[in-house]
Amino acid sequence: MDRAVQQTDYDAFSCKISAIAKKYLPCQKQLELREFSDYPELHMAYAQSLKNLSRRAYGKVQKAVQSSMPLMNYGTYVRTVAVDIAIEQYINGLPKGSKVQVLNLGCGSDLRMINFMSRYPQLRWIDLDFRESVHLKAKILNSDDRFRQRLGFPAGDLSEEDYVSGRYVLHSCNLNLIEDVLEIIQEHTDPDVPTLVLTECVLCYMKFKPSQVLIDEVMSLYQTGMWLSYDPIGGETSTDRFGSIMQSNLRESRQLDLPTLMVFNSATKYAQRFKSNATSTDIRTMWQYYQTETIPQEKQRLKSLQFLDEIEELEIILSHYVLLKAFW
Amino acid sequence: MKLDETIALLRQGKHVSEETVFKLCLRAQELLMNEANVTHVDTPVTICGDIHGQLHDLLTLFDKSGGVEHNKYVFLGDFVDRGFYSLESFLLLLCYKLRYPDRITMIRGNHETRQITKVYGFYDEIVRKYGNSNVWRYCCEVFDYLALGAIINNRVFCVHGGLSPDVTTIQQIRAIDRKQEVPHEGAMCDLLWSDPDDVETWSLSPRGAGFLFGKNEVDQFLHTNDFELIARAHQLVMEGYKEMFAGGLVTVWSAPNYCYRCGNVAAVLRIEDTLDRNYMIFEAVPAQDDVGNAIIPSKKPQMDYFL
Repeated sequence: MDRAVQQTDYDAFSCKISAIAKKYLPCQKQLELREFSDYPELHMAYAQSLKNLSRRAYGKVQKAVQSSMPLMNYGTYVRTVAVDIAIEQYINGLPKGSKVQVLNLGCGSDLRMINFMSRYPQLRWIDLDFRESVHLKAKILNSDDRFRQRLGFPAGDLSEEDYVSGRYVLHSCNLNLIEDVLEIIQEHTDPDVPTLVLTECVLCYMKFKPSQVLIDEVMSLYQTGMWLSYDPIGGETSTDRFGSIMQSNLRESRQLDLPTLMVFNSATKYAQRFKSNATSTDIRTMWQYYQTETIPQEKQRLKSLQFLDEIEELEIILSHYVLLKAFW
Repeated sequence: MKLDETIALLRQGKHVSEETVFKLCLRAQELLMNEANVTHVDTPVTICGDIHGQLHDLLTLFDKSGGVEHNKYVFLGDFVDRGFYSLESFLLLLCYKLRYPDRITMIRGNHETRQITKVYGFYDEIVRKYGNSNVWRYCCEVFDYLALGAIINNRVFCVHGGLSPDVTTIQQIRAIDRKQEVPHEGAMCDLLWSDPDDVETWSLSPRGAGFLFGKNEVDQFLHTNDFELIARAHQLVMEGYKEMFAGGLVTVWSAPNYCYRCGNVAAVLRIEDTLDRNYMIFEAVPAQDDVGNAIIPSKKPQMDYFL
């Protein structure tokens, strides 16, 4: 089961590489920022290192990139940009120069810390994930000065198993074991510093109870913060079969379970799990996000990249993914 | 080449030799070459929307609607791409057409092009199944000869996508040189790409090709050509079909649980001699059966989700 979950990282990463290769990512606004100018190069360099370390993982990425559909590129664009913008807004909303830390739970091969740490010198970033994912990522980051310079050179003994610099921590951790999580984050973060917690397709793979414990415990640890979560929702109307089909497709094709997909089957119910600790929440489906937040110039730019003959399907799928912001 | 044997193979989703496909495509081409851009069909006839390589659902469609042995069908295009059996679905229809020429009308969809099939799966399917792209090339040659529309009893206009600002009369469609790859703009492109929508007049399509058109354009077209209905496909409809503009246009969608993940039902529309419309709704074949999963091939590409 853990392995099936861990494998989803290659899906996410290959989707991103595909969206970058087809020029969906980065978005126009990021492209104009100095700190994001090497976004494509960084990702391609990471993919190249992956090739040297794990042919199998790289093979998966390659295959997915070749066969990726415009719909997947659109969805990856919306997801990535929505999360990036939310991070940016959160940091910009703090007093200028204020300390801030990001806790990326289930980070996988996500590389957004690199550009964000360059953009915000006061930012500390903590990446946590399964041991196997973390070891692979640490190896790749350690092996290339382009990454090391941007993340800060690792302090102390050179370890292959994690990455700890003055501002960046990559550490292995099983999110189902709350004691482990708390021990690590207490060691590397400051409870008084405003904290952004990111879970991008993470909670959906956890069982109900451990996911709720994770949310409650982490939110109570920090004085103030924002939880940013991207996940699928099953759909709540009786005629909506998207969720149950998704569950059985993923179970059959790759033994991947989505235990709470039909429990938190609507945006409202999904937000509910953050309510007891949050002062306010904001949640919308990715379709709403695409409709309302993607500016016309960007829509025009996306349209010029590939024919999208899947608008109705895009609506169905993006309506079953949400981005939640919970503030406390 | 024995058509009935090939039909039996295709119905089981079994491999058909490259040589057989070649001959089949050549014969189909000769047949289609003599069809007009807009063919005439008599009632009763069953109109079918997008199939998208969902062979098992295509077989259900024939079963539930009476079968080609006793009925006439108009297919509105998009036979290939997305599903796992584009080749078998397309060839089965070609075989039926050769076997029963007056019972099958095939209209070209926007996926029946070289450019789109390279992105949306048909090309990859062929390379996966044959190790080279020859069969893809043979099929694309046939695509170029498919009709652009059909007219039922002079009253119902069938087309894959919709209307075009460059087309007022059927005569203008007849004048198109259709034997080519679908261009990126112009009448031929629009017929295959456009969508009806709640718009006042011709508007830009979010798809990047074709136009959006509204009730005004539909009313005008119906009036000018003395039609009562435009039957088109092209857009996924969760309920299988959707009438718009006071019944002047209908979208018919015939790929249930589209891409094995959308959860929609499918429909076909039977036009009776009285021109009455009868919709037949059908569901996807369940993915599991007693002998293992017949629908998803073992060398399957993954179903796409954001994970």
